[in-house]
Amino acid sequence: MDSVAQRLSAVGAGAALELRGVTRLFGALAALTDVTITVRPGERRAVLGSNGAGKTTLFNCITGDFPPSSGTIRFFGEDVTHFPPYERIRRGLRRTYQISALFPGLTVQDNVYLACRGVSRGRFSFLRPGQNDALMHAADGLVQAVHLTGVKDQRVAELAHGQQRQLEIALALAGAPRFVLFDEPAAGLSPTERVELVEILTSLPPHIGYIIIEHDMDVALRVVESVTMMHNGRIFKEGLPQEIQSAPEVQELYLGGGHE
Amino acid sequence: MTRFVERHPTWALIIIIAIAVALWLISAVWPPGLEEAIGRKRVFLNALFNGITLGGLYFLVASGFTLIFGLMRNVNLAHGSLYLFGGYVGYAISASTGSWILSFIVAFILTALVGVLLQVLVFRRMEGQDLRQTMVTIGLSIVFADLMLWACGGDFYQIQTPSWLIGPIELPLITAVKSSGDPVYLRYPLVRLVIFLASAIIGIAMWLALNRTRIGMIIRAGVDDRDILAATGVRIQIVFVLVFALGAGLAGIAGVVGGTFQSLSPGEDIRFLLASLVVVIVGGMGSIPGAALGALIIGLAEQLGSVYIPTYAIVVTFLIMVLVLALRPQGLLARR
Amino acid sequence: MSVTHDARIQVHKPASTAQRPAVRGWPDINNPAAWIVAVILLIMPLIANGFFLIEIFATTLILGTIALSLMFLAGYGGMVSLMQLTIAGFAAYMVAVFGVSGNANISLGWPWWLAVPMALTLATIFGTLGGALAVRTEGIYTIMITLAIGAAFYYFTNQNWAIFNGHTGINNVATPHFWGVDWRADIPFYYVVLATAALCYFAVEYISRAPFGLALQGVRDNPRRMAALGFNVNAHRVAAYAVASFIAGLAGVLQVWNYRQISPGSVSVGACIDVLIIAVVGGITRPVGPYIGALVFVLLRTFALDFLVKIGLDGNRFRLLIGLGFLAIVFWSSDGVIGLWQRWRQSQVREENRPGGGRGHG
Repeated sequence: MDSVAQRLSAVGAGAALELRGVTRLFGALAALTDVTITVRPGERRAVLGSNGAGKTTLFNCITGDFPPSSGTIRFFGEDVTHFPPYERIRRGLRRTYQISALFPGLTVQDNVYLACRGVSRGRFSFLRPGQNDALMHAADGLVQAVHLTGVKDQRVAELAHGQQRQLEIALALAGAPRFVLFDEPAAGLSPTERVELVEILTSLPPHIGYIIIEHDMDVALRVVESVTMMHNGRIFKEGLPQEIQSAPEVQELYLGGGHE
Repeated sequence: MTRFVERHPTWALIIIIAIAVALWLISAVWPPGLEEAIGRKRVFLNALFNGITLGGLYFLVASGFTLIFGLMRNVNLAHGSLYLFGGYVGYAISASTGSWILSFIVAFILTALVGVLLQVLVFRRMEGQDLRQTMVTIGLSIVFADLMLWACGGDFYQIQTPSWLIGPIELPLITAVKSSGDPVYLRYPLVRLVIFLASAIIGIAMWLALNRTRIGMIIRAGVDDRDILAATGVRIQIVFVLVFALGAGLAGIAGVVGGTFQSLSPGEDIRFLLASLVVVIVGGMGSIPGAALGALIIGLAEQLGSVYIPTYAIVVTFLIMVLVLALRPQGLLARR
Repeated sequence: MSVTHDARIQVHKPASTAQRPAVRGWPDINNPAAWIVAVILLIMPLIANGFFLIEIFATTLILGTIALSLMFLAGYGGMVSLMQLTIAGFAAYMVAVFGVSGNANISLGWPWWLAVPMALTLATIFGTLGGALAVRTEGIYTIMITLAIGAAFYYFTNQNWAIFNGHTGINNVATPHFWGVDWRADIPFYYVVLATAALCYFAVEYISRAPFGLALQGVRDNPRRMAALGFNVNAHRVAAYAVASFIAGLAGVLQVWNYRQISPGSVSVGACIDVLIIAVVGGITRPVGPYIGALVFVLLRTFALDFLVKIGLDGNRFRLLIGLGFLAIVFWSSDGVIGLWQRWRQSQVREENRPGGGRGHG
């Protein structure tokens, strides 16, 4: 167990994501306190914890939606603490949102096309994409990967909830992601859709690491190799999935938090 | 206050120096060199007092505007119309009864009633759609402006200052020293000072009401977070109506003040709407102290500007707005 | 955040019932009505006399183009800017200042082909800077800041005599003559205006499906997500202001040639708000809306007096009519006249389909 913890927190030049003493205050309220996490490239990790444990705030700090009040964040060795969100995204970081954050006025195809365009050149281009536009093909591929080809010309506002969640994932996989943050991707999905989700996550290329926030243990523990437990804005425990699952204090805390 | 000094020592120093310079300019007898450089002290003091009293008027208009925006996120672009309406009502009352005080009361009640009607009949129907509400206020301002033009014509009206306020009083501020050695004191219109005092009292009363009373707490909670307010089970509609009535009524009072200070005519509605916009952008949306500070800054900038750089006075006002937007886009005294 | 969200609802509710062209081509190319309108506009000089040609149609196209620049910002970008007329007016002033006019002490006397690019450049810079200020805050503040900019410019032109010649403005502005044509003569001028308006219209239509325009609509729908996709949201917004300013500037050049003079009255706060009214009345979701709104507005402005007198009312109540009409549109149709028409057409279609019992949407 010690060796695992050491391995997980080992500081190496090869870390994909490295948080040191990250704290985020909202007024007097500390949503995150002194969070230190290191994730290797290609590593897949779950962040568990009850509501209000600071999981989504952690994501917001990493992507820069709300920059941390103190501490540093390194992404593949580069200090990105003070970068605006788009600069982090252009370096290969991606995220999904707990509540779908899509573009309801645009079609599915346009949503994915925008995601592809956002991480490549020509964001300000005044020229319409032609028939053989590479990004348009990339977008088609992504749409297909999340099983939305049948509705690709529909406006997102008209999609079913499950389809919106799939689109949410497609947006995060555009371009060449190196590390993805999934914020409760299974929220509101049917059992069948959950199976599909697990399939999508496990079939990601091995070099793409991710952190997943997920309340559904069945989904979460099946798609990760390590787990971080959070409580009240602090890291509570780190370990392998089976260790976390069997640790009595974790079960008590997690289930206790869940039942409140 | 101490936190501000700790966090922004440079700004605090600049502000302290500016205040010290201003105090010296006001109290000292100016050396001849200074008078040669920037003109007579009497001119400066007059512009200064005009600026401060104009700031009082701007505060009356803008505080209602900022209160309504803060709570309801409604940019009420018909606020200038309420100002002009209040002014016309005040003129009618003062012309027919001869009572200046009564004109304030009636103007307040009538404009507050218009405010209540607007909230109940119009804005309640489109709650949460702030852009649409703002569009509606634009339409209303056009309709009101034309109705008032229809009723009152394009003439200039001035509300008669009551006899007990007519004439200047001597202030204990030396403007110059005669060759005989006698000091010359500043003479300034009493009515402007009284009105400024009244608007200061209204401002302080509003601040106290917002900070010390239950209804004030509710309104402030609503300004910070409307969802919380709705969740606490407060009769939010009543709070909205009350705030709208108060905001509109203040605009009405300001109309009477403006009608006494200056004059009433078509187009004044837009002028005071604009003044409110700039005041709250500078001071910070939804903040009463912000409206006070913004009104003071803009009033002073306008008056001092029109004396010292007459062709560019409006540019000074505008530059202040640009500067604030560039350095502190949420406004000087906004919390966020 | 909530504000932009609101703007989206405002702007998009009707479009969800409407059908959006899914084809990535010109949406109107298969629409016979569009062809008919195009042909009528082209042969207009054969139908209309000078008064109608200039006072109604050219004026409509110029005002419509200014409103188009607002539609571009508001419909695609979710930013309601009230300074579009100010930018047009600024361009108009610059044409008068750099070009030739009756006020020889002010005008520099440049030929039009130098003065116009200069005016367009300066107007674009002016609008971009204003936009850069406006995007520092979110949503509903944009209205306030742009209105303040517009009003400041109006008061400034009134006060400043060195450049803007105070409240009299600049008169007898020269219009271009070349290739033996007086381009301000009714028929040539109509075609100049028509060509410019068509250019702007198709440019906006085209950009709306290009990466820049799509990204702008993404910014309107969800700025935070756009940042999380790698877009610099504020840079996009400022760039949108630059495009809109250029369009407004073009219209401003035409406006000063149309009236041959420019004065503070043309850039008043009321006139700024008229542009918003035009765009909203016409419909703010598609580029054709502003032109429809402008036609309604110009017709009302020209004929309201006679009309009001005819039905026994005071002819001076034109503003009242405009205000009430605007209120009605805002109350009943969030997509202006196009929205109303579309709703009516859909109800017709539904009537037709009812006997079949088939419902298109499950």
